[in-house]
Amino acid sequence: MNKGFSLGVWGAGIAALAALFLLPAFLPRFYVYLISLMFVYGLLATSLNVVLGYGGVFQFHHCVFYGLGGYATALFLTKTGAPFFVSFLAGGFAAAVLSFVMGLITVRLSKLYFGMLQISLGSLVWAIVYRWYSFTGGDDGIHGISLPDVISSQKGAYYFTLIVTLVSLFIIYRIIKSPFGSVLQGIRENPARSGMIGINVKKHILTALVIGGFFGGVAGALFVVVDKTVFPDMLFWTLSLEVLIMCLIGGWFNFFGPMLGAAVVIALRTFVSGYTVYWALVYGIVMIFVIFFLPNGVLGYLQQKFKPTKGRAVAKEG
Amino acid sequence: MLKIEALSKSFDGFMAVSNVNLEVKKGEIVAVIGPNGAGKTTLFNLVSGVLKPDGGRIIFKGENIAGLPPHAICKRGLSRSFQIVNVFERLTVFENVQISLMARENMNWNLITPSSRVLIGETLKILESVGLAEKKDSVCGLLSHGDRKVLEIAVALGVSPEFLILDEPTAGMAPEETGRCIDLIKGLSDNLGLTILFCEHDMALVFAIANRIMVMARGATLVQGSCEEIRCNQTVQDAYLGGSDVC
Amino acid sequence: MDAVWAVFSQKVLSQILIGLSRTTILFIVSSGMSLILGVLRIPNVAHGSLYMIGAFLAYSVSRIFGGGAQGFWMALLLAPLGVALLSLIAERLLFQHLYKREHLMLLLLTFALSLILGDLTKLVWGAEYKSVPVPQVFQGFVTIFSGFTLPLYNLFLLAVGPVAAVLLWLFVNKTKMGKISRAAAVDREMVGAVGINVSLVFAVVFVIGCLLAGLGGVLVAPTVSVTLGMDHTLIMEAFLIVIMGGLGNIWGALIGALIFGLSQSLGIMIWPQFGIIFPYLAVVIVLMIKPTGLLKSTW
Repeated sequence: MNKGFSLGVWGAGIAALAALFLLPAFLPRFYVYLISLMFVYGLLATSLNVVLGYGGVFQFHHCVFYGLGGYATALFLTKTGAPFFVSFLAGGFAAAVLSFVMGLITVRLSKLYFGMLQISLGSLVWAIVYRWYSFTGGDDGIHGISLPDVISSQKGAYYFTLIVTLVSLFIIYRIIKSPFGSVLQGIRENPARSGMIGINVKKHILTALVIGGFFGGVAGALFVVVDKTVFPDMLFWTLSLEVLIMCLIGGWFNFFGPMLGAAVVIALRTFVSGYTVYWALVYGIVMIFVIFFLPNGVLGYLQQKFKPTKGRAVAKEG
Repeated sequence: MLKIEALSKSFDGFMAVSNVNLEVKKGEIVAVIGPNGAGKTTLFNLVSGVLKPDGGRIIFKGENIAGLPPHAICKRGLSRSFQIVNVFERLTVFENVQISLMARENMNWNLITPSSRVLIGETLKILESVGLAEKKDSVCGLLSHGDRKVLEIAVALGVSPEFLILDEPTAGMAPEETGRCIDLIKGLSDNLGLTILFCEHDMALVFAIANRIMVMARGATLVQGSCEEIRCNQTVQDAYLGGSDVC
Repeated sequence: MDAVWAVFSQKVLSQILIGLSRTTILFIVSSGMSLILGVLRIPNVAHGSLYMIGAFLAYSVSRIFGGGAQGFWMALLLAPLGVALLSLIAERLLFQHLYKREHLMLLLLTFALSLILGDLTKLVWGAEYKSVPVPQVFQGFVTIFSGFTLPLYNLFLLAVGPVAAVLLWLFVNKTKMGKISRAAAVDREMVGAVGINVSLVFAVVFVIGCLLAGLGGVLVAPTVSVTLGMDHTLIMEAFLIVIMGGLGNIWGALIGALIFGLSQSLGIMIWPQFGIIFPYLAVVIVLMIKPTGLLKSTW
């Protein structure tokens, strides 16, 4: 039972936060941009983990919500005169609505069929966005989106992203640690049993889907702030797989695993791209390494080494 | 409290349960016995909502619950444990029971309060009553089989049921553990006033605690009666008990 | 009025024929994926990359043999074998160690493989478009009816489709290996218990499935520009077809490919801008009505 964090953890956390706030003063613009991206993908991966790691749902196409959130925000900013905050929140809410609608259709299916229907629905959304040139910019996407002066600079975008990400993570953390989150984990472990003790499993899962979708959309809206663009690939199936990998590399039984995984992947990608154009090759090899040797991710591995009696992060075989 | 009338269920032409009638009064402990494949688990699945019957009625507290989903039936006061241990594997013993309590209190919609501060006393009470209090922080995977079966019952208790269905509660248990289980079930009936319907292969257990016994074979009821009647019944002896030395 | 109808029906017919020739390729590739999905129970994300490598290998092989008709036939023979060899290496080296693990790991492994193969393709062949010439015997057109001519190569594809379907059916239902694979798809533990080397069965099925992907790549090569990124959309299309048809069901893959190919070509005719949406819409509709797919899955 968690009696709260020890003093050491609090201290480290505060130090890390202080470092994050002070970074832009020391680092060149490119690195600031990079770390902003890490927050975006980290939030995206964490939102996926709500559904996948804590809920046990085969969310194979999470990026539909990410992409939709991004497009919603981008379209609001470019096509309507709405104030920035409205446009920003539109991303999250549009994604929440989509995940509710898609969830209604898919939640009655079990595991794999859920994933498959979600992929097909998501692909449909991608195809529509991809071809609707007049509205969404088609395969060009939308570029050069204008933002309020405060956040249109790299530093401004960084701080905005940092704050939104921290707030979102806090909210997600509280939800996971609440009875809702406990029951969600129960459903992950044993949906039949959960039904037997009086839980309406479908309703519960649907709610989790909407939460995950909402924050995925928020991540998409943050991407617009950081990059000032959107493009159809944000909705493509393979990006969903990449986000899954981020959860895997970081460790999905731990709350901060996905963030770590996102940071690792983005750092790796940037670092490797500096040396070779064959970034995907390296990525693939790293993935193979993780699959074979670190199936619980980096955090899972560390947790096993230093807290071996926990037993919680043991991957189920077979 | 529970009245099963003419209940039937078939799978692709195979009659798993055919025309079963059973009545369980409040406070009773009723056992269902019979060889494997007699339809005992199917019967329990029908009553607890896992399966929809083809025909017949299941009257629980005056209401026909046949065909309702499991969670709706549970909310009406009927809880069940499973033959194959069915718990929340990767969570701790404490969390397992706590979730059950949360479900009872409809706390599953609470997204704000930390779980670590919720329902602690009640959870510990249940754990103590089944004797698992010292192991509360153990993950399920590390428990002995007997403990897991007991946890199974504890989780079923968490929803404060009035009616408890136990599917082979001592299956796979070592003899020492069986005694503990007998005391536990007896205690549930004596102290908590639960009405209990269970099925078992361990005849000693059955005769020790059951008020009435129903014998099933091939999906249908063979005979119903008190312990004495069943023990001395010729058909039952031939079909199932393999002769008795008492009558 | 008659003339308008004639023109319309000709248009429809021509689109159908074009759609059908696409179906052949979609079917061949999807059946390979369906085979793997049915027996190994994983969607092979690398399927698209293997398809792409098949096309690039076709390019190279046909160049080696002079680029003419002989080049094409040699490519048709050798490229799929090359792809099969590649997949065998991957399977023995990596996949076989994971059969006892969670399926998600295997899926992610195929994803890793697709990334590696994608970049390997870039490494070996470079980033420019390549083209594979249509073999001489298929150059030219056949007149179906006045005003519409069908390229002979498409006619060839139309013929290959049913042949491939029959051959696959024979393999799955009439050969010993086929029957064992079907058994392994349904219950791998039983098959192992009977003394058959399940790992070997998986290897064979995986290699054959990938060979089909490569074959599809070779067949499509003369009709499109061979580029990096071919794997991208194909993997999605193949996966959706397999889902629509029923997991692991070869006939399902055929029906799925038919629906996909036809709805795409007819869709483009009806609504050119959004034509490509129709197949995706078809998949969603099918899955909403029957979530397990049109035909019985092997699971």
